[in-house]
Amino acid sequence: MADKSAIGKEYPPFTWEVERGKVRELVQAIGDDNPVYVNREVAIQEGYADVVASPTFGTVPVMWKEVGKKILEDLNVDYARILHGEERYEYYEEIYPGDILTGRTKIISVKTKSGKAGDMDMITRETLYANQRNELVLKVTTVTVERK
Amino acid sequence: MAKEIYFDDINIGDAMPALVKDPVVKVQLVKYAGASGDFNLLHTDPEIGKAVGIGGIIAHGMLIMGFVGQAITDWIPKKYLRKFGVRFVGMTRPGDVVKVTGTVTDKKEAGSDKVIVCDVTAKNQQGAVLVSGSFEAALPTRGLY
Repeated sequence: MADKSAIGKEYPPFTWEVERGKVRELVQAIGDDNPVYVNREVAIQEGYADVVASPTFGTVPVMWKEVGKKILEDLNVDYARILHGEERYEYYEEIYPGDILTGRTKIISVKTKSGKAGDMDMITRETLYANQRNELVLKVTTVTVERK
Repeated sequence: MAKEIYFDDINIGDAMPALVKDPVVKVQLVKYAGASGDFNLLHTDPEIGKAVGIGGIIAHGMLIMGFVGQAITDWIPKKYLRKFGVRFVGMTRPGDVVKVTGTVTDKKEAGSDKVIVCDVTAKNQQGAVLVSGSFEAALPTRGLY
């Protein structure tokens, strides 16, 4: 069972340099052929400063930096019993190759819910990203479900 | 240039253009793992899936959310997207054909922004819901009134 005493805990900021190849790899795996994610000229024509990060890119740094893994370990969550419940983004500014993102993650809530399949803990965490100009660019909210 | 889309031309009840993806293939899950940094073996090693009782490999939920993001930004330019969120409802397996649909549910003003709200759903070829959610986009208007 998830440890509820960690609600509100903030984790040390992490940094992540946005690489052009990482932006491209994500849309290639998805099979999204929209040129604004891979073709700089088209992206500029469409009003961006460069190729732009696709809508779900914000989850990538969290995975590579293993931020979520650390949090779930802190909460004593059983890895074999977790599911990805929800993912939400709020977009403030575009993310471009070369950006140095700073991510700040905190635990928003840990709630127990009763469902048809039994009790579940819902762990909600939030990562706020700022870029190298200290502009807030993105908020990512993740809900992890631990089945009991 | 992609065709401009205006707040004025969108009505509540309008359908987002549907997106039907090619069948999900195993190599796509390997690529997605590398691209996203999600190396949970549930998505690439069938033995793990069998061991935990789900019968084989399942796609990353985030891959399916990526399909939904593709459908949205095929219609509404990324730069207009303000919010996007989904709940992960069902499992996707190799061979599944995912279809993304959406419906405009609201038009509203948020400060100086003119915002559309749209429900989005991804289903498999049997019609089972894989993810469901919504997005909000702030659109330009046709000049001043």
